[in-house]
Amino acid sequence: MIEFQHVSKQYAKDATALSDVTLSVAKGELVYLSGPSGAGKSTLLKMIAAIERPSGGTVQVNGQDIGKLKASGLPYLRRNLGLILQQQRLLFDRNVLANVMLPLLVSGATRVDAEKRARAALDKVGLLDKAASQPLSLSGGEQQRVTIARAIVNRPQIILADEPTANLDRISAGKVLDALKAFHTVGVTCVISTHDEQILDNASRVIYLKQGRAAANGWNNDTARGTA
Amino acid sequence: MRIWLRQHGYALNAALRHLFKPRSGFWLNVLVVAVALALPFAGLTILENVRPISEQLAVEPEISIFLSMNTPREEATALAPQIRRIVQDAHGTGKLEFVSRESALHALKDKSGLADAVTALGRNPLPDGYVLKLVGFQQAHDATHVDMIAMQLKALPGVEFVQVDSAWVKRLAALLHVLRLALLFLAITLSVVVVTVVFNTIRLQVMSQCEEIEVSRLVGATDAFICRPFYYTGALLGLGAGGIALGVVALMLQPLNSAVVDFARLYASEFRLAPLGMLATGSLLAVSAGLGLIGSLLSVQRHLARLS
Repeated sequence: MIEFQHVSKQYAKDATALSDVTLSVAKGELVYLSGPSGAGKSTLLKMIAAIERPSGGTVQVNGQDIGKLKASGLPYLRRNLGLILQQQRLLFDRNVLANVMLPLLVSGATRVDAEKRARAALDKVGLLDKAASQPLSLSGGEQQRVTIARAIVNRPQIILADEPTANLDRISAGKVLDALKAFHTVGVTCVISTHDEQILDNASRVIYLKQGRAAANGWNNDTARGTA
Repeated sequence: MRIWLRQHGYALNAALRHLFKPRSGFWLNVLVVAVALALPFAGLTILENVRPISEQLAVEPEISIFLSMNTPREEATALAPQIRRIVQDAHGTGKLEFVSRESALHALKDKSGLADAVTALGRNPLPDGYVLKLVGFQQAHDATHVDMIAMQLKALPGVEFVQVDSAWVKRLAALLHVLRLALLFLAITLSVVVVTVVFNTIRLQVMSQCEEIEVSRLVGATDAFICRPFYYTGALLGLGAGGIALGVVALMLQPLNSAVVDFARLYASEFRLAPLGMLATGSLLAVSAGLGLIGSLLSVQRHLARLS
């Protein structure tokens, strides 16, 4: 489903974000990306979403080569992805429901259908009662769950989450992770980057990045800490 | 097709929502564009009203030859071959008509509404005369030839006064042509102003909505989906401004007409300025919307590329 072959990303001569990364994520897998700040976790996720293009090597998502993907093809790739970024990036000029409806309206759904499906998505993350609220009136954890609802409302094949629990208290973080795991159980591929060691302790598969390289790639706690 | 229509509906809805958004400054920009459009629209309205009059008037030069009162009728009628020769010598042709003092008086009584005054005179104050309609002298540079013919006619025995009647019509036609060119130049200049105002309005809107644009891109919006609301906003801005400008011009005609009607009555005319017809109004609204669309197209292409 996701294939990295000797991928590198260089922003400037002395600013290398990724270097010779080779990895693959199978369909339906739940994979955590760990590593210190600046290790390249966000860059790796952005490459899957074609927000960044590789400087070298190949990235394939659903059989599509991201490096060769034309600008006109980007929207159709992203409609199959659920993106949860570090900043919630909600639109504050409209209510929660309208925020969640956006990916559906973009895909050409009717307003009635979009509203029905957006309410269902909000129900899944436990925020149906906040549908009419303004995003600014919600807590950080609730805003993050709205982002998750927006990411899953289009029934994506892949969910990419960049530090989804950063800046959240333990209870809010738990709810966010539970929501993401719920989608994994129904066959959605999830790639989640995190610093949180408690999350990594219970992780099934962890890819540890260090200075832009995949330093460890495995299924145990040592991998999570980069000591494998 | 249904999805395409739905997405256009969504874009139109988004554009309309923006119009009524507080502090968007949209209506202020509509007024600025309306002021820019009102000037050429007013000029066009006046020219369109004057055009039928100028088209009805003959531009062929017409020379009236008045004979002295004491010229006998035989001498007067004998002048016709000499007049024709002068026209032929000037390499022209013309239609010559003798107007006796009796028929001139009859025409004066019939057409001018001065019948009572003329009757009160007790005698015919008009001389015999000729009306010479020249053919092939329509161009502006022919005016010298016409003046030369008039001078030669004045030198004929028994001729008291010669008047070139259609010179003012030619001048009016020339003036209208100049005005039309000036209006075209003004319209082009103000079109650039309109496009610039819309360009800047849309630029500000793109900047204020850059967060929404970025989020839309991340969730799979195509460029067409992102651009459409801005195109609709530009077209609506142009359309609204065009409507206001036409309304202002129509209102302006009311006070102007009271002065024009008084002036026209002095010439026994019922002339008055009328608003433009449906077709012209529709065309101007379409042009206004088109200018708005062009401004938004240029702005969106430029600023969206920068956001990418």
